[in-house]
Amino acid sequence: MEIFWRTIAYYNSATWILQIVIILIGIALTALLISKPRPWVKMAMKFYMIGLYGWISIIYYYIYCEERSYNGVMAMFWGVMAIIWIWDAITGYTTFERTHKYDILSYILLAMPFIYPLVSLARGLSFPEMTSPVMPCSVVVFTIGLLLLFAHKVNMFLVLFLCHWSLIGLSKTYFFQIPEDFLLASATIPGLYLFFREYFLNNLHADTKPKAKYINWLLITVCVGLAILLTTTMFLELVPKN
Amino acid sequence: MKTSESLLSIGKFIAEYSAHLMGAGVHTSRVVRNSKRIGEAFGLDVKLGVFHKNIILTIIDKETNEACNEVIDIPAHPISFEHNSELSALSWEALDNHLSLEELTEKYRKIVSAPMIHPLFVLLLVGFANASFCKLFGGDLISMGIVFSATITGFYLKQQMQKKKMNHYIVFIVSAFVASLCASTALIFDTTSEIAMATSVLYLVPGVPLINGVIDVVEGYVLTGFARLTEASLLIVSIAIGLSFTLLMVKNSLI
Repeated sequence: MEIFWRTIAYYNSATWILQIVIILIGIALTALLISKPRPWVKMAMKFYMIGLYGWISIIYYYIYCEERSYNGVMAMFWGVMAIIWIWDAITGYTTFERTHKYDILSYILLAMPFIYPLVSLARGLSFPEMTSPVMPCSVVVFTIGLLLLFAHKVNMFLVLFLCHWSLIGLSKTYFFQIPEDFLLASATIPGLYLFFREYFLNNLHADTKPKAKYINWLLITVCVGLAILLTTTMFLELVPKN
Repeated sequence: MKTSESLLSIGKFIAEYSAHLMGAGVHTSRVVRNSKRIGEAFGLDVKLGVFHKNIILTIIDKETNEACNEVIDIPAHPISFEHNSELSALSWEALDNHLSLEELTEKYRKIVSAPMIHPLFVLLLVGFANASFCKLFGGDLISMGIVFSATITGFYLKQQMQKKKMNHYIVFIVSAFVASLCASTALIFDTTSEIAMATSVLYLVPGVPLINGVIDVVEGYVLTGFARLTEASLLIVSIAIGLSFTLLMVKNSLI
C-alpha cells in the first residue's frame, strides 16, 4: 500500500501542470459537445480520449507506476482501451448523440473526477499523496458519464472494459484500503445497468427467449448482487479492526 | 411410396433437415437415423453419405425402385441442443402420426425459426459458468468476480466478431487474448490470479465438436469424426495462442 501511494505522489508532483492542461481540455471539449455537438467536436473528443487513455497507459502506469508489481499488465489494459478508441475514431462507431434520458446521473458521473481529490482531502491526505482527476478510476467514471450522456449508440466493448475496471476498483477498496474507489464502484453500477438495458433490452416486449422482461430482471439481480458486494466491502472496511 | 408427394420434394426436405441437424451440432449417426426415420414414414429408403461440409443423399421408393439424389451444403448454424431434441422428436412424430410433407415442413419451419436464446442471457450465463469453473479449480471470490467480468468481455467480442462472419480461428485467438488479458488484472491482488487467468478462456473450449468427433469415430463415421476433431483441435490451438500472447506479455513466460 505504501508503494501505491508513493507512486501516486511521484506521478502527481511530476505531472500536475500537464494534468491541469488535460483537465481544461476535457472541460472545454465536454462543454462543446453538450452545447455545439458538431462533427469536428465529436472527433476531437475521440482524439482526446485516445490521448487520455494513452496517457494513463504510458505516463501513469508504464512510467510513474514502474515500482508497482505488474504495472505492465495495467499499461497494456489501458493501451487496449486506447486502441478501442482509435478503432472507434476510424469507424465512427460512437455517434455522441444526446438521449436526454439519463442526464442527472450523467452529470453526477462527470463531476465525480473532481470529487475524488475532495474525498482524499477529507480523509486527511495532502498533495501530492492524494487522488487526482487524471487517474484511472476518475477517467473511467468520466467516460461512463460521457457515454451515458450520449447513449444513443455506445461502444459496448469499451463499456465492458470499463465495467471490468469498476469491478477491480471494488476489489482495490478491499485490498488496498482506497475508499475513494467506492465512488467509482457505486456510481458505475446503475450506469452499467442502463448501458446493458439500452443496448440489449431496447424492446422489453420483443419475442425473445426467455422474454426480455425476465432478462431485465436477471440483469437487475446481477447489479443488486454487485451492490450487496460493494456494501459488504464498505462495511468490512469501515468496521474498526482489532 | 405411402404418399402422393413427389420424391423430389421429400428428398429436398430430408436433405435440408439433415443438413440443419449437422450444422446445429448433432452427431452423425443421429442425423442418419432421423433422416432414415422420416424416409420410412413415407415408405422410402434413405441412404446418406455425410461429409464435414456436405451431405449426399439418395432416396429410393421401396415400391417402384424409383430413386432421387440430392447434394446439400451443411450450413454453419450455432450449436443448438434445442433443435437437436425437437427435430429428433419431429422425426418420430412423422413416423408415428403419418404426417404429410406439408405438415412436416410447417412443423420444421416453426422449430427452426423459433426465437434463439437472447444474447444477453447467454452472455450472463456464460459469465456465471466460467466463474463457477474458477471456483471448481480452487479460485477465491475475487478471482471469480474477475473471471465473470473477463468472460463477458471476451464472449461479447466473440459474439460481435461472429456476427461479422470473421474467420473462426481469428475470433478464438482474439477472444482468448482479451479474456485472459482482463483476467490478468487479478495479478495485482493477493488472490488466485493464475487460476483466474487459466479459467477465463474455458468458455471457448469447443466441447460439442470434441464430443461429437469422438462419438462419430466410435460409431464408425471416421471421416466426419476426424474432421470434427481436427477442427476442434485447431480451435484449441487458437485458444492457446491467444492465452500465450497474454502470458508472454504479462509474465514474460508461458508458465
